[in-house]
Amino acid sequence: MVDKDTLKKIGFLKDMPDPVLEKIGTIARVATFDEETIIFRQNQKLALIYMLVSGKVFLNSRSSSGHSITLDEVTPGRTFGLSALIEESSGTFSAVCAEASSIITISSEEMHSLFKSDFLAGHLIMAKVVEIFRPRMEKHTRYFIHSLTTHPEVSRFI
Amino acid sequence: MVKLEDLKRINLLKNVPDHLLELIAARAQLSIFGADTELISVNEDVNVFYMLIMGQVAIKKEISPNLEVIMDYLQSGASFGTSAFMEDSKASYTAVCQEPCEAITIAGDHLASLFEDNHELAFHMMLGIAAQYKHKMDMRAQMIIKAVNENPDLKNSIKNFNDLTLVA
Repeated sequence: MVDKDTLKKIGFLKDMPDPVLEKIGTIARVATFDEETIIFRQNQKLALIYMLVSGKVFLNSRSSSGHSITLDEVTPGRTFGLSALIEESSGTFSAVCAEASSIITISSEEMHSLFKSDFLAGHLIMAKVVEIFRPRMEKHTRYFIHSLTTHPEVSRFI
Repeated sequence: MVKLEDLKRINLLKNVPDHLLELIAARAQLSIFGADTELISVNEDVNVFYMLIMGQVAIKKEISPNLEVIMDYLQSGASFGTSAFMEDSKASYTAVCQEPCEAITIAGDHLASLFEDNHELAFHMMLGIAAQYKHKMDMRAQMIIKAVNENPDLKNSIKNFNDLTLVA
């Protein structure tokens, strides 16, 4: 159980109406993780959504050639693991605590049960996910094109 | 008006219950487009959401004034034009029929008003769209990370590299 005032400090949830936050609060839990704890691994099917209350989390990605890069440093108030809300989806990165961290976790299964009992909550949360994903997808496409244009085989045609 | 059987052929709608599909069916129509028809033009408003029943549509992006890349070939079951019911309705790509196409079409403002009236429908549609976006992002993120690993200088030329992580 997490109170709505704590949930309002999470950027992803701050615009949600109070009744929706209260329902989310009943299925949310706070967990603490030690430094260097691996919260989840790349390509693992995610069952939880994570919202950082305090501490810091690194998101790392390893390519098929074995190289690892840190894509992001998650700071308090931010949410990761939203892929858990999507069926048959796995994370594209690993999450590792850079320091001792306090994290709100919400089971995606319980979240979907909530959505089915309150479609307004489901609509608002999934619309928020789409609102976040959409500009990211555009950026992914731009980065992809950028990496394509720098490829020697392609750049000679530009 | 379109048949429920036709709507059930659309991937985005595969988990949508019949009573919700009926709402879409009542507002949608079946349209035929000739080869080379430009359904969506980059930087222009998108007013219609398309669900492809038959044919193939190319999704194109211009990477320089003399070079265009085909990002995707969409076939039966695919849908596109989600900008039609989003706040920013400008297209980021061009969609062109590669051959004669049959598509279910629905005006974006009709869909947006259906979502306002029926949160169950809105929930199912948003869930499907989020899954589509995630799938596309995963594919591109893997390609970008592979390219960066092969060419580390690329990382310096990409601003906000953390956008690949979907952290909100």
